[in-house]
Amino acid sequence: MLPAGCSRRLLAELRDALDACAERQRQLERSLRVSRRLLRVWEPAETPALEPTPGPDTNEEARPPARTPSPQDLKELELLTQALEKAVRVRKGLSKAGGRDEAPSRKSRSIVSPATTASVPPRASGQAGRRASETKPPRGVRQTTVPAKGLPELRLLSVGDQTCKARGAQAAKPEPGLRDQQMAPSAAPQAPEAFTLKQKGILLRLPMAFRKAASQNSRLWAQLSSTETGDSMDATTTAKTQFLRKMQSGWPSSRLCAAEVEAEVGRLRKACSLLRQRMGEELTADPVDWMQEYHCLLTLEGLQAIAGQCLHRLQELRAAVMEHQLAPWPEGRLPSAPSSCGGGADSIWSPQLLLYSSTQELQTLASLRLRVAMLDEQIHLEKVLMAELLPLVSTQEPLGPPWLALCRAVHSLLCEGDLKAARVTLKLF
Amino acid sequence: MNFHAPALWRLLFHVLSPRPADDAAALPAPEAQARLVKSALRSQGYPRPALVQLPEDGSQGSRELLLALSWLLARGPLLERLLAQIRVRLGDEMPVCECEVLASPGPPAPRVEADGCVDIRHLQWLMGKLRFGWRNLITSQQEHCALLGKVHSYTRGCHSDRSLGHLSVTEAELLRDPEGGRQLLRRLESENARLEAALEWRRRELVFWQWMDTVLDACPPEASQPTFLPRIPERGAGELELVARELQALQEELQAVVETRRAAWEARVGGWGPGWKATQRASEEAVRQELTALQRAWERGGGLAQPHGPHRLVRSEAGTLGGPGLRATEVIKALRSQEACLEAALRQLQGQCRQELARLVGALPGFIWILPPGC
Repeated sequence: MLPAGCSRRLLAELRDALDACAERQRQLERSLRVSRRLLRVWEPAETPALEPTPGPDTNEEARPPARTPSPQDLKELELLTQALEKAVRVRKGLSKAGGRDEAPSRKSRSIVSPATTASVPPRASGQAGRRASETKPPRGVRQTTVPAKGLPELRLLSVGDQTCKARGAQAAKPEPGLRDQQMAPSAAPQAPEAFTLKQKGILLRLPMAFRKAASQNSRLWAQLSSTETGDSMDATTTAKTQFLRKMQSGWPSSRLCAAEVEAEVGRLRKACSLLRQRMGEELTADPVDWMQEYHCLLTLEGLQAIAGQCLHRLQELRAAVMEHQLAPWPEGRLPSAPSSCGGGADSIWSPQLLLYSSTQELQTLASLRLRVAMLDEQIHLEKVLMAELLPLVSTQEPLGPPWLALCRAVHSLLCEGDLKAARVTLKLF
Repeated sequence: MNFHAPALWRLLFHVLSPRPADDAAALPAPEAQARLVKSALRSQGYPRPALVQLPEDGSQGSRELLLALSWLLARGPLLERLLAQIRVRLGDEMPVCECEVLASPGPPAPRVEADGCVDIRHLQWLMGKLRFGWRNLITSQQEHCALLGKVHSYTRGCHSDRSLGHLSVTEAELLRDPEGGRQLLRRLESENARLEAALEWRRRELVFWQWMDTVLDACPPEASQPTFLPRIPERGAGELELVARELQALQEELQAVVETRRAAWEARVGGWGPGWKATQRASEEAVRQELTALQRAWERGGGLAQPHGPHRLVRSEAGTLGGPGLRATEVIKALRSQEACLEAALRQLQGQCRQELARLVGALPGFIWILPPGC
């Protein structure tokens, strides 16, 4: 059994690490749930019964808060309605489905719709609605509220929608080239045509209100991030500096505060690992001539000097902490915002873009990032365990079986960390 | 005049602590909030001792609290930072570094503080659990990336913003779920209102600072010396000690290596003439430059060669990679070199442990240290 203090500290460290891991997992699970749901068949939105065409149409466009359609929209709707009505009439006299061309002739689209059986129309009616929305991208949702009064067939068909959707089966064949919507009804399988991102995702359009708000948002962030240098800005900066100086005056406060000490200790830790890395490089290098050898020697001497400087600085910090009682108070600490991350001189507060070209690349990036985090944690834990456990091995007197067990356990904890434990083969999801 | 103190304490608390999780139950009582505010300001170096002496019940001190708030505002981009923290995220974001994650710990879970001793096997078990957890994390992350990739490629061409090209999960969600979409829109609109208010503040800030100047002048001069409460060393001090120990060890290793090599070198070139002095100086200069560059990697404000912060993912099939933005290949390169460094560091530490253990066991008569295979 380990002594109490040691146990407490090590337990705290390991539990912290486990909590952090669990938190990450929780967040990932949340995102996974959302993404999985998106890629399944979209359920018809819970809309009030008034909506004449529930189904794929309404899922694609978020309805903005109630607003009256403009006269132009009403007019277009009317045209659409008339076209569809005509199509119904024409179809009655035709036996062939419309052609494959992409001409935005609503007629050819809608020709398909009423002629087919109840299983296919959900797609077709969806197509009619969507086609209209395609040709008029700036219009938000108004097409979806196709007034039902002139289209008894469509309404019937959309009722059929609901029952078919309940089966939720995927269409058997993904259409080649999603823009090419036209398919002979006979070619369409009996399965209902529910909305999936895979097949119809390309047709989605963001609603107008959202787009406006989003572009305004990025414009405002850009304004906020820009460092304007006008007279007024200079005056403000001067006023602020003066204020800070006045606040500070009269108090011989240490130039160091706890947050700065912490930041500097972090920098020195980074320094130590970089120095050590460089030392390793120099020691494994194979000089071919005396000049390289001399270079190597000078580098090592230089590293030694820098290490000495860092150590000296650290001792200064330690003294400052002791003297000025710079450590945080027992009540606990509010974690401060990270100062190193989040940009340097030109901080851009809205996110920048990260371009990736394939899923494989994205997965590599994400897993590398996690791996770096994991290694960081492993190194930290290794140091902590070393500091706590190695002294135990050396100071424990009884050399019986318990001590041997301790040695074995310490060895497994400290030396057998499987570096490859987390390398994962990329599964194809 | 002092009615505002409680509100100011609350405001300072929310400003100084990162956004708490969505449970209001986690908020501490007002007195505790005040104590935490004092502690946080102190640790950031707040210069005025009057703050420390304020009563925590909110009965007085509104002027001092106002000064504290202004101090925070003056020191850095406080408004922008706060706004960025609660920003509505429209894209699928992925951080390219781990700094943020490490710096902001989640809410501390309530812990049963068992002050007893544990068996080392329990530690081994916990360690195994941790490794398993990481493996799961990586697998889940892989799946998530695959799903993201699908959503991005299935919606290519949909976005009104050409530089983005496709929808993000958030955007597709708002189309799938209109109610959620309305909420998102509301949040976006209120953020826009906040941003406009921030810009308005910027335009008129000068007046505020002129006023604060007068507030500061109106303060009575501080007479007494500040009284500091005795402190109990926290984990922060531990970190310092760890680093000190590492640096010490490093310096000793370097010293040993350098001594032998320098001696060997001197022995070799002892007989060389002054002719090679020039080359010697050239080497010295080259090394000096290299080491200065190395130092810049950890100095304050230097060497931000690593990309930082969250980035919005944009899928862009090869060939259309024209626009602005970080390329995944670059990030991967940087991460790989980081990975290599860290692996080397870990191996080195493990080797150190192995040596130390072997030494400790080997020093005892009658024991043979047999390493398990693969070690």
